[in-house]
Amino acid sequence: MNELFEKQISNLKEVHFHVLYWAALAEGKGKDYNITNIFDDLKFIGITRTKQSAVSFVESLAALCFIGINSNSNRKNIYITKHGAKALESLIAKGSFQIKKSMFLEVTK
Amino acid sequence: MNIGIGGAGGKLASLASNGECTIVNVSELELSKIEANSKLLAVTHSARGQLRGSGKNPAIGKEAFVSIGEELKNLIKGNIVFSSTGGGTGNGIVSELLDKISQKEEPVILEERTLFAFILPCLNRESSEYVENTIEFLGSPVSSAIDSGNTGNIALFSNKLKFEGRIAEANYNKMIVDSFNSFLSIPVKGEMYKLLDGHIDFEDFDLFRSKPYFNHFTQFSWDTEKPFESQLTSNFNGLLLPPERAIEVMFLIELPDESLTPKFYDVLDYFANDDIAPVYGVVHNPELSKPQITVSMLYSRKPRELVEDFKSVSDKYTRNRIKKSLEQHVVLQNHKLDKMNEARRMVEESGSNSGDVLGFLKRIGKL
Repeated sequence: MNELFEKQISNLKEVHFHVLYWAALAEGKGKDYNITNIFDDLKFIGITRTKQSAVSFVESLAALCFIGINSNSNRKNIYITKHGAKALESLIAKGSFQIKKSMFLEVTK
Repeated sequence: MNIGIGGAGGKLASLASNGECTIVNVSELELSKIEANSKLLAVTHSARGQLRGSGKNPAIGKEAFVSIGEELKNLIKGNIVFSSTGGGTGNGIVSELLDKISQKEEPVILEERTLFAFILPCLNRESSEYVENTIEFLGSPVSSAIDSGNTGNIALFSNKLKFEGRIAEANYNKMIVDSFNSFLSIPVKGEMYKLLDGHIDFEDFDLFRSKPYFNHFTQFSWDTEKPFESQLTSNFNGLLLPPERAIEVMFLIELPDESLTPKFYDVLDYFANDDIAPVYGVVHNPELSKPQITVSMLYSRKPRELVEDFKSVSDKYTRNRIKKSLEQHVVLQNHKLDKMNEARRMVEESGSNSGDVLGFLKRIGKL
C-alpha cells in the first residue's frame, strides 16, 4: 500500500501540487475554494488556459482521494483530505516544486 | 493570585509576586521568557502569533481566548489581572473576558470580583495602533464591564511618566509593582503594627477592592502641620491616571510617634467636607522617621469620557502629522502600473510559507 501511495505521489505534477497546497491554504484561511478559483489561479501562474484542464486536474486528485469536493449549489468547493495532506507534506519535504502564490487567496484582497 | 495576560501583563504579574502567578500568552516563546509557576498557552491558528505573539493585533488574542476562556474565567475569580491595553494578546483576551463578565445574568458575588490593572500607552510617544486599540478597549469592553457592576476596582496605569522621565522598562515595571503593593499592603500593615485608631481588616479591604470603580492610590510622607488637601493633590500617583472626584476613600496612616494620633482627624475632616466617610486605620510604625499616608480613592468616571480624552489627544497628533507631511512639499511622480505584471512580480519575489500550511494541517488533525 505504501508503495502504491509513493508511486501516486511521484506521478503528481506541479499543477496537482498547487491545487493541494491552495486547498490547504484556503482551509487555513477559512475561505471556500472552488474550481473556478483554481482555474483562475492556474491561469495566473501560466499552467493552463482552459477550464476543462483545470477540471480534469481536480478530478484526478479527487479520484486519488487526495481532495474531496463539496457541491454548494452550482459551486464545487474543494477540501484537502488526510491522504492529500500526507501527499502535500511529502512533496514539500522533497522540495519537488517551488510554491507559487494563489491570486485568489494571497494576492487579491 | 496574580494573573498576567500578554507580554506586559505577564511581566508585571511575575514581578509583583516573584513568579508565584499565572501568565497567559499565545506564544510559547513569550511564555518561556517570563518566570511563573503556571503558564497558559492560548491557541491561535496564526503561525505568526504562535511564534511572535499577537503584535498589535487584538483579533489574534480574541481568537485565542476560545481555547482558554473557561479556565481563565474560573482563574480570575477574586484575583488580580494585569494587562496592557495597547497590544494584541492582553487587549484581545481581556476584551473577551470583560465581555463574558458583563454578559453574566447573575451578578458576580463580591468575593469573586476581579481587580484589573491596565497599562495605557503614552499618547504622543507610542505607536498609533496602541492608541487605537486602547480607545476601542476603553470604549467597549471596559465600559460594558463597569456598567454591569461585575468587576472589582480597575487601576489605570499610564506609560506617560516612563517616557517623560526616560525610565527603563524594567525600572518602570518595578515602580508600578511597588506602587501597587503599597496599596495591597494596607490590611497587612493593619495586622502587623500596633493599632492607634480605626481599623482596616482583610474583610474591609476585600470589600473595598471589589467595588466596580476606578481606583487611584498613592503613598507619601505626610506633614501633619500642613493642609492635607495641597499635600494630596501634589502627591497624586504619577503612574496612574489622575482621579476624578472621589466617591469612596480608604486611607492608612503610619505614625512613628503615637502622640501624633489625633492629627488624623484633619484627614477625616478633609474628606467629610466632600461628604465622604472613609474606611481608615492609624497604626504605629516605629521604623519610619516621618508620618506616612497611603490613600486609595475610588472614582467613577465614565469610560466614554476617558475615550473622548484619548481620542481628542490622538486626533491632535494625527492632525499634526498630516500637517507636517503636507509641509514637506513632496512632488509625487506619475507611475504607470501594469497591475497584472506587478502582481506576478510580487508573487515571484515572495514565495509562500509552506510551514504555515503544514502546521495548520497538523493542528486540524489531517497530518
